[in-house]
Amino acid sequence: MPAKLVVEGLSHHYPDEYTGEDVHALDRVSLSVEDGEFSAVVGPSGCGKTTLLNILAGLLPHTEGSVQVDGKEVGGPGPDRGVVFQEHAILPWRTVARNIGHGLEIQGVARSEREQRVQEFVDLVGLSGFEDRYPHELSGGMKQRCALARTLCANPVVMLMDEPFAAVDAQTRITLQEELNRIAIATKKTILFITHNVDEAAFLGDRCFIFSRRPGKLKATVKINVPREKRIWKDLLSEKAYTDPRDEILRLVREEVFDDEE
Amino acid sequence: MSVLQAASIGLQKRFGRQRLRKILLGSIPFAVLLVMWQMNTSMEWLPPVYIPPIGTIWEAIYTLSEGCAGAGAVLSMQYECLFTNHILSSLGRVGLSLVIGIPSGIALGVLAGMSRRFAHALEPIGVFANAISGIAWVPLAIVWFGTGWLTTLFILLNTVFWLIFFNTLLGVRGVPRVYENSVMTMGGNRWAIITQVYIPGALPSIVTGVRMSMGFGWRALIAAEMIGGDSGLGFMIFVSAAEYKIEEVFLGVLVIAIMWMITDRLLLIPLERWTIQRWGMVWRPD
Ligand SMILES: Nc1ncnc2c1ncn2[C@@H]1O[C@H](COP(=O)(O)OP(=O)(O)OP(=O)(O)O)[C@@H](O)[C@H]1O
Ligand SMILES: [Mg+2]
Repeated sequence: MPAKLVVEGLSHHYPDEYTGEDVHALDRVSLSVEDGEFSAVVGPSGCGKTTLLNILAGLLPHTEGSVQVDGKEVGGPGPDRGVVFQEHAILPWRTVARNIGHGLEIQGVARSEREQRVQEFVDLVGLSGFEDRYPHELSGGMKQRCALARTLCANPVVMLMDEPFAAVDAQTRITLQEELNRIAIATKKTILFITHNVDEAAFLGDRCFIFSRRPGKLKATVKINVPREKRIWKDLLSEKAYTDPRDEILRLVREEVFDDEE
Repeated sequence: MSVLQAASIGLQKRFGRQRLRKILLGSIPFAVLLVMWQMNTSMEWLPPVYIPPIGTIWEAIYTLSEGCAGAGAVLSMQYECLFTNHILSSLGRVGLSLVIGIPSGIALGVLAGMSRRFAHALEPIGVFANAISGIAWVPLAIVWFGTGWLTTLFILLNTVFWLIFFNTLLGVRGVPRVYENSVMTMGGNRWAIITQVYIPGALPSIVTGVRMSMGFGWRALIAAEMIGGDSGLGFMIFVSAAEYKIEEVFLGVLVIAIMWMITDRLLLIPLERWTIQRWGMVWRPD
């Protein structure tokens, strides 16, 4: 079966209106994500991770290289690629239920079917009882669950996530990571997950792509051979199949950060 | 338990302690004014040609409505119903200016907010027009449209439209880009983004624009009716003053203020409470 997401020779430059000097954000990145695979992208701050995600989402046009989803070249945003943004992307003027059903509403799905699907995802992310609340009445973790359910409910081919748990506290983050793992198993989604937290990447990913500092290049790919069903924090911390690749990723990322400081 | 106690408990149940206290506090200055007004009449400080007795204000309503029989006559604006006709014609103009000004102001404001090209085209003329909107237009409007409906409506629209246009424009610009991006990635088209992101996102600013335009518009209207109108509360005050009917002038001024308070309390504040306050986009008062 061909890969769901294929990136080939992707480079990106941001023009700078003021100094006239380009910012070289991505340098000939090639990677692919298989159907149902959970891939994680790790790299130092400013290496172009968000740039990559924006290009994959079609929010930023690309000029060098190619991006294909399900064999079709990406030429703009579309419902085949769902995005979970870092924060505050759920609409404050819609209730939880209407936020989660927003994608289906845009797709023109009939009301009765929509309500049924929304309820399914409300339950999946554990927001039952909060359907009619507005986002400002939710905690940070609940907002992120709502954002996740909204993207899932629209049923995209590929899910793109940009550091979705960066803004929540450590305890909530652990819970959200385990929940995301469970949801990813249940929905069999193809996922590209961006983070600069090495533990998070190794915990969630089937494969981790490590990026170099700017201009972002794909520096290494590390596989994590722990079945997804067995990924629970309290068991994993002493599991060599987890700690070895995690330490390897940590070493690779550290090199980039230390180089940066010299 | 005395009747007074029972009444106070009843009122507290109806409104809540906090709100009751707020209403009571707010009424104090009005009560003081009324008492002083009444004292002026009984002590004869200033003669009634300057400050008429309170009772004559009520009488003025009857005088101005002589021959006006029933609600049907009021609503069909029969000639005899002078008092209500003036109110209705002022209200009608405000209503019409809002019906025209709000949608067009929002539409062009959204266009200018989302398109650089539109903004470049419309902003300078907007700044220009805003500087002269209000009563500065009155003399010119009278030359163009004569006295009457068109002149007053023109003055009002000039105030209402530009205020709503600018507030919408600023509101749309302030909507975080991530909302737009998230709707686009769900397959939403331009129209979806306008109706589901720009307009609700700009609503705090639009509501401010509506409130401002009602406030400024109402004032501009009264001024316009005085100079360039042939009916309305402003016209009524002006004519009454010329005829030294001081109680009618007082009546007109009071009605103007009361009408404004009613619109603000009954229309605009609830509108705000049910939208942007509900969504947590502005701080709740209290
Ligand atoms: N709109 C833009 N215009 C110009 N330069 C930009 C723009 N967006 C990002 N850059 C630059 O491109 C580089 C990569 O940015 P990007 O946001 O993709 O990094 P990142 O890997 O997501 O970082 P972080 O982990 O801190 O979120 C940075 O040096 C940044 O300054
Ligand atoms: Mg980023």
